[in-house]
Amino acid sequence: MSAFHFDGLVWHWPIAIYLFLAGLSAGAVFFAIMLKHFKLADKAYLSPFVQAAAVIAPIAVCAGLGILVIDLTKPLAFWKILVFYNTSSVMSMGVLVLLVYQVMLFAWLGSVFSTPIQQWLKQRLPLLNKLLALLARHEDVITGVLVILSLSLGAYTGFLLSALIGFPLLNNPVLPLLFLISGLSSGAAATLLGGVLMRGNPNGVEVRFIHRIEIPMILVEIALLFTFFAGLILSGGQSQVAALNAIGEGFWGWIFWAGVVGVGLTLPLAFNLWMKVSSDRKFAYVAVTASFSLIGVLLLRNFILYTGQMTAV
Amino acid sequence: MDNSKRRFLKGCGGVIAGMSVYTVTQTPQANTTEQASELKYAMVHDENLCIGCNACEDACRQVNHVPDGVTRVNIERSGPFGEYPNQSYRFSRHSCQHCEAAPCVKVCPTGAAYIDEETGIVAVNEDRCVGCQYCIAACPYQIRFINPETRVADKCDFCQQTQLSEGLLPACVLACPTNALVFGNLKDPASALVKTLKSKPTYRDKVDLGTRPKLFHVRTIDGEIVL
Ligand code: SF4
Ligand code: SF4
Ligand code: SF4
Repeated sequence: MSAFHFDGLVWHWPIAIYLFLAGLSAGAVFFAIMLKHFKLADKAYLSPFVQAAAVIAPIAVCAGLGILVIDLTKPLAFWKILVFYNTSSVMSMGVLVLLVYQVMLFAWLGSVFSTPIQQWLKQRLPLLNKLLALLARHEDVITGVLVILSLSLGAYTGFLLSALIGFPLLNNPVLPLLFLISGLSSGAAATLLGGVLMRGNPNGVEVRFIHRIEIPMILVEIALLFTFFAGLILSGGQSQVAALNAIGEGFWGWIFWAGVVGVGLTLPLAFNLWMKVSSDRKFAYVAVTASFSLIGVLLLRNFILYTGQMTAV
Repeated sequence: MDNSKRRFLKGCGGVIAGMSVYTVTQTPQANTTEQASELKYAMVHDENLCIGCNACEDACRQVNHVPDGVTRVNIERSGPFGEYPNQSYRFSRHSCQHCEAAPCVKVCPTGAAYIDEETGIVAVNEDRCVGCQYCIAACPYQIRFINPETRVADKCDFCQQTQLSEGLLPACVLACPTNALVFGNLKDPASALVKTLKSKPTYRDKVDLGTRPKLFHVRTIDGEIVL
């Protein structure tokens, strides 16, 4: 039995990347909205961090969907998922959320960036100008709906796996919450990384704001991971076997302890605490911390997907 | 601020209202259309009678055009148990259990995996399947597969498309030289199936998952006792 090929393995790494990108998009949007609402207000479109999120979120969600479609055994039939719906299927409802999410995402981007876009258009496309003005007027409604949708999208990736009743590690009520929180933190990290790469001030108000949320978020994530595995081990039976197979010796055990816990959680937590104390954030610190978080979440998605399918009931 | 809060709430209300309308329109009209079908197919595999000859698998392959490399039914052999010369093996049928509460049907996004209301057979609508493999991951019995020729989900359907439509028994049942396979209508007390179920102790796999499988097994007597 090798780490990437074993009996019973159905979903491979493309699904893990899809889960990662969907969560990342939801998280980036969530933090862009928070930044605008609590810190930047009408100047949000000038912030490189909001701009970064505005680039990352749509690209991530579209790329994720693209991967999902290519991974179907009949990619050309993907439109059937859009036409036929099954309310008892998490995937079906997730596709619906994803579609509405994308529409609202573009509506929100249109409203937040309506001023610069209108300046750039200079009355050239009157219809588009009217649309932008309309979006800007309804920005609060769009924002509210988008917050709900981004949180749903973040949790959906976890629900998708937890519906698999044959695998005790996946069929676990903590999983959607764990995926939601880690998805949000990957979105935060992507926003920070993109922002400083776009010459955002690494010591600016945006970074400070996100870092303030990031520390409690990492702590919650650690608590959730602990609950997740403690719950499995205390349940005994195949749940315990699944948990020990995952975090015990072997390739995935290494990925978990060194990758997810070490690089993904402990180092970012330490860096964040240290930056808070030294209150001097430099480009390199912010970029490295964010990259570690991103790597950690990507590894977590792969780790859960593969080890989850390793042990059946 | 007050105004924006109100509009925010309005937006949320809109989403919730939209969702409830959607849910209502999606509610199955169970009470109006369900006129309790007289048919519910099930199968018994008597592990005491089975000799592991694999005739069932071959017959299934032929009748249902199952390509090489995949199979709809598989007889798993374990053992040997006991000391030579009194050794024995245990043969267990591995195929779709036609669950009453089928996880594969529940998760399928397009409704391609469905339960035939008339017969209780869990079947696949090839035209609807997009090959997301969600059903394959969701089936706790790990018996679904992607057919390499049609590229859609495939599995045992009690020969619904081939034998049953011709009024014949499933191919595996006809091929079995020892009558280890009994197929029939659970709702018919006079059927060989119900008689077998009433005369022999049977078990079903993973019942604690709540899937209510309709594939019954008669446990082999000489098999080992597993805790
Ligand atoms: S055994 Fe698997 S494929 Fe067959 S009905 Fe049950 S869940 Fe579906
Ligand atoms: S692979 Fe086909 S039958 Fe299975 S869940 Fe996906 S669409 Fe449904
Ligand atoms: S044909 Fe009958 S005896 Fe032979 S393996 Fe199948 S069930 Fe057993």
